[in-house]
Amino acid sequence: MLKDNYLNRLKDLPETVKQFGGLIVLTIFIILSFSVLNIYWGGGDELIRKMKLEEERIAKEKKLNALISKLPSGILVTFDGTDNHKLTDELYEAVCNATKLIPQRAIMAAHFLNYEAYELYTINGNKIDDTFVKWDKDKNKCFAGYTVSGNNVGVNKTAKVSGEVLSFLSTGIDTRVYFIKNF
Amino acid sequence: MEFINKYPKLFQWLFLLVVFFALCFAIEVPETYKFIRGQAEFVKDPNQSSFVFLGKEVRYYAFDVFWRLPPLLGWLPIWINDSLFFLMNEWMPIEFWNEDTQEYKTRPLVLQISRNLTAFMTFLIELIREILLGGLETIVAFTSWDWIDKNPWAELPGLPWTIVAAGAAILSYKLSGKGLAIFAGLTMVYISIFGQWKPSMQTLSFILVAAPLSFIFGLGLGIAAFKSKRIEKALYPILLVMQTMPQYAVLVPALVLFGVGDHAAVIITMVVAVPPMILLTILGLRAIPPEVIEAGRMSGCNNWQLMFKVLIPTARRDILIGVNQVIMVCFSMAVISAFIGAKGLGFNLLLALNQLNIGLALEAGLCISLIAILLDKMSLAWANKQTDYFGNLSFLQRNRNILFFAATVIIGIVLAYIGTFLFKGSYNYLFEIPHNKGISTADFWNKGVDWIFDTFFVYIKAFNTWLIQDVLQPMRALYLRMPAVATIVLVVGAGYLIGGIRSALVVCALTLFIALSPWWDRALVTAYMATFGVIVSCIIGFTVGTLCFQNKHSASFMLGVCDIFQTFPSFVYLIPVMMLFGITDTSVLIAVIVYATIPATRYTIEGLRSVPVGLHDAATMSGVNKFQRLTKIEFPLAFPHMMLGLNQTIVFALFMVIIGAFIGTEDLGQYILKALSDKKGAGIGFTLGICVAFIGLIFDNLIRTWVEKRKKHLGIN
Repeated sequence: MLKDNYLNRLKDLPETVKQFGGLIVLTIFIILSFSVLNIYWGGGDELIRKMKLEEERIAKEKKLNALISKLPSGILVTFDGTDNHKLTDELYEAVCNATKLIPQRAIMAAHFLNYEAYELYTINGNKIDDTFVKWDKDKNKCFAGYTVSGNNVGVNKTAKVSGEVLSFLSTGIDTRVYFIKNF
Repeated sequence: MEFINKYPKLFQWLFLLVVFFALCFAIEVPETYKFIRGQAEFVKDPNQSSFVFLGKEVRYYAFDVFWRLPPLLGWLPIWINDSLFFLMNEWMPIEFWNEDTQEYKTRPLVLQISRNLTAFMTFLIELIREILLGGLETIVAFTSWDWIDKNPWAELPGLPWTIVAAGAAILSYKLSGKGLAIFAGLTMVYISIFGQWKPSMQTLSFILVAAPLSFIFGLGLGIAAFKSKRIEKALYPILLVMQTMPQYAVLVPALVLFGVGDHAAVIITMVVAVPPMILLTILGLRAIPPEVIEAGRMSGCNNWQLMFKVLIPTARRDILIGVNQVIMVCFSMAVISAFIGAKGLGFNLLLALNQLNIGLALEAGLCISLIAILLDKMSLAWANKQTDYFGNLSFLQRNRNILFFAATVIIGIVLAYIGTFLFKGSYNYLFEIPHNKGISTADFWNKGVDWIFDTFFVYIKAFNTWLIQDVLQPMRALYLRMPAVATIVLVVGAGYLIGGIRSALVVCALTLFIALSPWWDRALVTAYMATFGVIVSCIIGFTVGTLCFQNKHSASFMLGVCDIFQTFPSFVYLIPVMMLFGITDTSVLIAVIVYATIPATRYTIEGLRSVPVGLHDAATMSGVNKFQRLTKIEFPLAFPHMMLGLNQTIVFALFMVIIGAFIGTEDLGQYILKALSDKKGAGIGFTLGICVAFIGLIFDNLIRTWVEKRKKHLGIN
């Protein structure tokens, strides 16, 4: 009875009022639907956090790339007594942070003093497991290293080579580790 | 409260706008949002989220849903691609006899059908091309290369240009009279002496295949839809989408199905040209008075006789207007299909535009426009021509034109033969003027462009900079600033207020499709460019239309101008604007404005003309002046008709914005263009086409519903 009364009252409302009511209901319905969708699909805050980090990384990388492009091509060293370009302390850190690659030349040179690593490297087809180049804040020096692993006469072995980076090679596009002092 | 009671509709609209702006201000732009990071970029980035649907992985930036909806339909283009690949390479492998290798070969059914269709179309195009330009492919198709080597006389020589020119003039004379005959003759002479004969005949051969086939299919489907409600219901959504679908977008799936070349262009032209033919056939058949059908039935006609002896002859005019539309679509496609390798004037135009050789582009564009105008006038004249069934004519009178043509064929052949002596050791100019041996005004136009740049560079640049920096960029930023929820509330609310819940649901579905696709941002850019074009076009169109309407002659003149401008293929509009503004957004927008002003002007004049004369007299007798009559009587009554013009203006603007991608825009068109050169672009191109079509359909639905209601309110049928 009560329900019928309400329905009749609604039906008796002027057309414009009913239409306005419909508009409000429609608007609320759309906003509510979006709210529900947001629970499942929205990733706003998380995305912002991740993207900010990404943006910072990109900005840092851009800065480093700009720096590298200004360096002369060739060998960059951290010590005196050669004709090669000597890096200032600031540049040394920046170049260290920008460097990702350890080329085969630097690896082969490091193997002079690590026979086990040399053997694993040659037996397993010159494969390197992983590499790192990082700046040591405590020692104020750049360190680089890599791991080689594999089967040597039926035994699985792993050898880790690391040491201070004394020189880099600048190609004009990027910088690479040139010499690792692993002794 | 009094205001609400007095203007309830206005209040509702104000409420809707308040909600829209409140949502815009309440939802902030996410800090990391950048246009270039739009969902459509398909860049693999570790920050992207992903979901898998139907085995397809979709990557996207998970913004707040209120800001941008996730691309839940992102799988659709990938799915379309995979489906096409499956159909073309794996579905229903069947053994077919291969004539070349004389053995059975296994091929998927769809691939075989598409190859057969391709071969058939290529044969038809070659046949007509060789009749017009000469060649031996057709003869070889029926004989062999060995046979043609032994019988070189059998090679088709092609028709001399003099015969084609005379034929066009005689046909025009028969259809319309002296005026059109002179125009046809001059057009053909112009084409020939400007060295555009070969590309023009290539384009003509393409149209002579596409137009009749489109006519046959369109007529057949139109009749079927007229006879069966089911077929009509099935065709309706396709026809609706095809009306607003940019022709560009249809090219991409055609590439996958039929490859590159004239044959693919013909097939795709048919796809675009058939819908208007179907619509006009249905319209024509529906308009037949029931008395005519009754009379046919009473005369003892069976269904077949009733259709072909009574209904179609009665609806002849509408059907022939359909033929006119088919020809016009074919011409606009002649340029667009050059993107998929169709030869002819369109290809030359595209090449010239690509090289920024405005002079050459202008020459090719002028030729296309002239042929388009000629065929438009000829087909309209055919539509309006009444057959004289009762003329008691002699054989000579009845066949005068055929005899004239036979005489010109003989004269043309004789002239071409004399030409072989006159131009010995050189080109026979009485047979065909080669492409690079005609008169060329390209240098003149190029120098003109240089002069314009040298003289007005400062002003053009200042205008360009002002338009881009102070008008377009802020407008673009505003559109991109709209959160998805606000846009949907606005569109759905508008649909509800105009057409009730049904209309609201339709526009909601169409908008959601775009919002859930990966190209929402690009769609907003498309909408901004189209909106700018539409606003300016409407201001110009409504003003010019109203001014021209004041005088009977100026109104007729303006309608004639609109007719001519409407026959120009849309690509041609890019030439003059590129001359003036180079390759910028300004060029695209000015082309959009020029192109879209045509329907705005035409519908304004026609709308004002449709106001009953009796009302003019009544108003004059009531003592109103001219301005009052215009604003109080003519405008309110003509407004529904003018709104239909606005609808057309929106469709025209959208088409041109998409074509504008050719000279560099950032909208959906750019992605359609990219899809053309992408091996897996079919799905993307097609989905983008649907997105553009849906933008058009949203406005179409809103405007048409409003017009219907308004007409009902005003008591106009």
